[in-house]
Amino acid sequence: MKLKIGIHALTSCYGCQLKIASIKDLLKVAENFDVEYWYMMSSSGKIKHVDIAFVEGSVSSKQDEEELKKIRENADILVAVGSCAIYGGVQGMLIGEEYKEIFKEVYGENKMDYEGKIGEPLKNYVKVDYNLPGCPPEEEEIVYYLACFALGSYPEEKDYPVCAECRRNGFPCILIEKNQPCLGPLTIAGCDARCPGYNVACIGCRGPLPYNIAWFDSLAKAFKEKGMKKEEIKARMEIFGKQYEKMEEMIEKVFENED
Amino acid sequence: MKIERQIRNDHLARIEGKAGVIVEIGEEINARINVTEGPRFFEVITKGKRYDDAAAICSRICSFCSIPHKITPIEAIENALGIEVSEQTKLLRQMLYFGNIIESHALHLYLFAMPDYLGYPDAFSMAKEYPDLIKNGMELKNLGAAIQSILGGREIHPENAIVGGFGKLPEQKEMEKIVEMARNALNIAVSTVDFFAEYDYPSYVDLPRNHLAIKPYNGYGVFGNEIVASDNFSFDVSSYAEYIEEEVVSYSFAKRGKYKGKPFMVGALSRIVINKKLIDGRAKEIIDGYKKFLRAENSFANNFSQAIELVYFIEKIIEMAEGIKIRKEERIEAKEKSGKGYAVTEAPRGLLIYEIEIENDIIKYMNVITPTAMFLPMMEIDAKNMAKGLWENGYKDIDLIGKKVEMVIRAYDPCISCSVHMIKL
Repeated sequence: MKLKIGIHALTSCYGCQLKIASIKDLLKVAENFDVEYWYMMSSSGKIKHVDIAFVEGSVSSKQDEEELKKIRENADILVAVGSCAIYGGVQGMLIGEEYKEIFKEVYGENKMDYEGKIGEPLKNYVKVDYNLPGCPPEEEEIVYYLACFALGSYPEEKDYPVCAECRRNGFPCILIEKNQPCLGPLTIAGCDARCPGYNVACIGCRGPLPYNIAWFDSLAKAFKEKGMKKEEIKARMEIFGKQYEKMEEMIEKVFENED
Repeated sequence: MKIERQIRNDHLARIEGKAGVIVEIGEEINARINVTEGPRFFEVITKGKRYDDAAAICSRICSFCSIPHKITPIEAIENALGIEVSEQTKLLRQMLYFGNIIESHALHLYLFAMPDYLGYPDAFSMAKEYPDLIKNGMELKNLGAAIQSILGGREIHPENAIVGGFGKLPEQKEMEKIVEMARNALNIAVSTVDFFAEYDYPSYVDLPRNHLAIKPYNGYGVFGNEIVASDNFSFDVSSYAEYIEEEVVSYSFAKRGKYKGKPFMVGALSRIVINKKLIDGRAKEIIDGYKKFLRAENSFANNFSQAIELVYFIEKIIEMAEGIKIRKEERIEAKEKSGKGYAVTEAPRGLLIYEIEIENDIIKYMNVITPTAMFLPMMEIDAKNMAKGLWENGYKDIDLIGKKVEMVIRAYDPCISCSVHMIKL
């Protein structure tokens, strides 16, 4: 029996789905599954029981929340796909009171038929079984996850940073040799250190390392020694890491005796 | 108003982003495009960031047009900080941008629009009967993706395009690869035009309208700083706020644009309406042969226009990739640390405007106006007229009306992700 899958998006750039749609021999890969539901690609299908649901995007509205709960209820396995679904994405930078004020300023008070919400990761609302990281994920990772499921096995999330791939490729170290604020040391590997290979400092788009091993403090200290101010360090690290637990605390620690 | 029948689709399929449509049929007929994708406030989250980080954040507005959402803020930043990039950078950026349009048009025409024309719910089921069509569509898409990977670093969120130039320049032999792929794709592009020339447009959506497009610096290009309207008026991008206004409606997280107070259109059709004379080569021959399909008053002509643009942009890619001799150069550094800048480009779906203010390398203010936000009100009128035309001419099948309304919406190739962040503080 083929596995039944559903592919969904909440609030996002739709890049994870575009990446899935772009994998080589998509039609051949798709033959191994029954795609029950994929709005971006098909006008047939409605949410029904599937073995695996892939969800990209953050929860950024009441509708997103309701849809996500419905997807969860109907899926045996739920995979959070991409930085928005795993960490809230770049829109996840706007949180707390500031979000409420901005929303009111833009849309007025109680004037909208829909309720906007702070962009949050799926795990804040439902149980997530697997994370498939990336912004967007790489083709090879998508195929790896699909293949694992098809074979009845379990995909594993990488637990080493972009630096590991960068060293393996022999690229010059952007942080040490070029003095640029590269976020490779705390970002999940999988991109084969693409940006350092293009002489561009890693912006952390794949999100901070899982398993509590993203050492924002050590890297903040290295940035500080290069002359960066606390606010500058925060501004860069929060782009894809704002909702990582303890990010703020770890950066503060580095500066705590100076305030 | 008493509502006799209601057609409701909360989640339109085969578009980029999340929107729904409601058509109400009673004494009057109304249509509403509900934009339910959550707001993302890019103008706020880029505030306080270094300008180069801000440009990388902006590309996340949209995956289908991540190149326009990287290059346009970069150009606005360069305009603000007095950076004049090299001729080589300009040329490579143009190739990168054309590559994005090729991919975006190919995806829209083959995966999103064609199933409508052939009566399938999606490209997967269409592929069973028409495997060659899908193969062709993928070949066009792959050309666009390859250009973006070679020049931008990857096909979605191109980190290699940066302020002042590129992180790493492409190799000369990669240009040869582009030429080879583009030569193969050219005939496919021509066959795409032929496909869409098989279909008549529903006249229910005929309506004179204003089109807006850029006045390109060179050829039928995507860069410029002047915006031209089909009412023979033109204005500099820096005065966009005087002519393009935005409004909020309760059922849409996307703000909506008006030109001189009226709905208007942007996109491939608008570009051809405004800049037809600048098109040369094979695309020009096709235009001359298919004049009756370029109907400025009918939004269905947008699909046809996208197909013509595929031919034009692929021919230009061949010319550019054959002509360029990559020479080593460093990215240009900023002279200033503060300033205010504007940029407008032609994204796949039409005009894209960025206004950026920088103080000591930090973003102080940013405003983005996206094509989908601009054409939303016009799209809504066309959706309404489609339903109205069918109903008043005796078609009472609600499913059929629903499908045809969706087809009008898809003709615009709306990009909802792009539209839900426009805030103008």
